[in-house]
Amino acid sequence: MSFAWKQAGLTYNRYLAVAARVVRRSLKDDKRLAAERRGDMDLRFAKWTNGKQGEMTNVADANAAAYVEKANAPAS
Amino acid sequence: MNSLRVARAALRARPAALRIPVQQRGYAEAVNDKIKLSLSLPHQSIYKSQDVVQVNIAAESGEMGVLAHHVPSIEQLKPGIVEVIEESGATKQFFLSGGFAVVQPNSVLSINAVEGFPIEDFSADAIRAQVAEAQKVANGSGSEQDIAEAKIELEVLESLQAYVK
Repeated sequence: MSFAWKQAGLTYNRYLAVAARVVRRSLKDDKRLAAERRGDMDLRFAKWTNGKQGEMTNVADANAAAYVEKANAPAS
Repeated sequence: MNSLRVARAALRARPAALRIPVQQRGYAEAVNDKIKLSLSLPHQSIYKSQDVVQVNIAAESGEMGVLAHHVPSIEQLKPGIVEVIEESGATKQFFLSGGFAVVQPNSVLSINAVEGFPIEDFSADAIRAQVAEAQKVANGSGSEQDIAEAKIELEVLESLQAYVK
């Protein structure tokens, strides 16, 4: 089986997250508000070099940027 | 006189002895035609090892119905409907966002998904609004990732639209 999302460089994990997000958004208002809180992620990280903390980066933003970079890089 | 009393006591004891059920099991009762279903989400168990008659799932390899004594298999689920026919005969429909169904030996079925809700919890208006938005992104000139994600959303929404009127 070949999936379109796989060819676009998405992982199965990302596929599931996108599918779950759209399911949550399709709910009736009362259920949706409770469910959408489950989709929130607020993780941040910083790289330390020479004893100094680098810039704080949101994990979700960094991942999105990494996907784009991976797709633009020549296939190895 | 003494022997007469013993005989009478024995007579009185017999009906009680007859009332004890015979510890025997017929062939028909020995065959269990129920399947134990566990339908779990990361935040909730909808079914917890509950006996049900049949479960219909939408696998990537096709729609399938699972009864007791099914061949063990692992199926990737499409975003779609899982239909559970309970012991009482009532049918319940859940929309799952995708996951895995594991048919284990001795009539045990485990279904794992990220999100799953009864079909009546969905709003047709919310789905319609999202279809329009996802179509705009899918036909737009965004990055390949954005387009791929919009296409996933469209796949889920089209599946939902077939059930939510």
